[in-house]
Amino acid sequence: MLGDITIGQFFPGDTVVHRVDPRVKLVLTVLYIIAVFMVRSVVGYGLLLLCVLAIARMSKVPFKYIMKGLKPILFICIFTFTLNIFFTKGENLIFEWKFIKIYKESLINAVYFALRLVFLVIGTSLLTLTTSPMALTDGLERLLKPLKKIKFPVHELSMMMSIALRFIPTLLEETDKIMKAQIARGADFESGNIFERAKAMIPLLVPLFVSAFRRADELAMAMESRCYRGDVNRTRMKTLKMEKRDYTAIALSFVVLALVIVERSVL
Amino acid sequence: MSLVVKDLTHVYMPGTPYQHVALDNVSLTINDGEFAAIIGHTGSGKSTLVQHFNGLIKATSGSITVNGIDITQKDADMKQARRMVGLVFQYPEYQLFEETIYKDIAFGPRNLKLSEEEIDERVREACALVNLDFETMKEKSPFELSGGQKRRVAIAGVLAMRPDILILDEPTAGLDPRGRDEILALIEAWHKLGKTIIMVSHSMDDVAKYADHIIAFKSGRIAVEGSAQEVFMEPDKLIEIGLDVPKSVKLSHMFMEKGINTGLCYTAQQLKDSLKKILGGGMNAG
Repeated sequence: MLGDITIGQFFPGDTVVHRVDPRVKLVLTVLYIIAVFMVRSVVGYGLLLLCVLAIARMSKVPFKYIMKGLKPILFICIFTFTLNIFFTKGENLIFEWKFIKIYKESLINAVYFALRLVFLVIGTSLLTLTTSPMALTDGLERLLKPLKKIKFPVHELSMMMSIALRFIPTLLEETDKIMKAQIARGADFESGNIFERAKAMIPLLVPLFVSAFRRADELAMAMESRCYRGDVNRTRMKTLKMEKRDYTAIALSFVVLALVIVERSVL
Repeated sequence: MSLVVKDLTHVYMPGTPYQHVALDNVSLTINDGEFAAIIGHTGSGKSTLVQHFNGLIKATSGSITVNGIDITQKDADMKQARRMVGLVFQYPEYQLFEETIYKDIAFGPRNLKLSEEEIDERVREACALVNLDFETMKEKSPFELSGGQKRRVAIAGVLAMRPDILILDEPTAGLDPRGRDEILALIEAWHKLGKTIIMVSHSMDDVAKYADHIIAFKSGRIAVEGSAQEVFMEPDKLIEIGLDVPKSVKLSHMFMEKGINTGLCYTAQQLKDSLKKILGGGMNAG
């Protein structure tokens, strides 16, 4: 059951999509998110779908793998869909039964909202699937660098992020191990009502917290013993450099964005 | 009453770039009352194998029969299987969670839905088995203890379920020599009660001292299997797969090459006795 979590999971590869500068990928993902919220017609969604499919194809990440990221948001999707269907009003009534009224506009709206969520998740999981956590935080740090002028702790933030990302798999593994150890002692995590289940989590959560704190302590000690003191005078082994493919990626994205804007104003 | 594994295969994360065959067509039988040892390098599939024994990991293919119950069947009674097979994980002290040692050891029996008297009896029994003084320890928090004591509490937590087959995954990892001896002594004591033991270990010397059935793994397959006598008779086989042989085995082989017939010894004690006999005999003749 823990295997379903694909957020922050990296799918190693050596394709163009993998090699594009992480800064570029981050900015383009933000643009993509804006585009997702801008489009409002079938044509627009088709255009975005085409882009996403093309990128997914180029990245050589199996389609099944990308779709796996959608599983956890399925519930939210259905929830927003139903809310939108029943609680927005329009002009063209297409279904009426007692107090339930469904308008054509609300139905379209609901579909679009659900689609937006799906597109958001697919786009962002493409980013994390093709960018290693290290590259991602590196890119973020460079992008946020101007904020340093106003005393914003950019380096610390990105260090925290990379540590957090780094420890997701470790903690998942640990959770799995402790869970198994407690199941071996007869613990039951899967049956009972919600209160019983919450109570059954205690034998899992207590050891997990204990070990997370222990790990944090050990890591801090290890970093300090290697003279880590923030980003003062710190240099990098790999400096990020823009290349031809990065400029191509940006150019193509602006074309798509322009098309989206055109679509919005025309349709 | 035994544990029979047939053609067991396990593949981790099939269909992803991380796909990995952890166990490849493994078959073995562990009889009642045996002290079996599973050795092999990190990543050779030892831990994966033992987690199959009480159904924590589902087999990709093959079957496992515990005391006549096939636990790889879909409708198998896993609760019953877990009652028969106790599994002590690597670094088991990280599973402790309760406020007091008493409550922690009682966790397993309580999950078996036993009566309070029965639970109390079992906790006392388990404490005695791992050499913890029940009266001074029961109200203490498990987090106040030393590493070796924590591990003994964790093992007591599994013993309190009274398993027929006890599996220990590297029970001595990370302990000092004294802690190690204590743990091994209590495992030996449990074995003397007629229980089956399966111990996963790195230490050849520990294995040689206690085990009567040795199974060596290499890349998810059984490389060498047999009684201690059989396995150590041909130390080259173990060395070939990158495992060490006990020092006493090496020494006794060296003696035998020089024409001093110590016989095959796999513990220091055996070698000492054997040498004493030879020297004593020599003196009588002289």
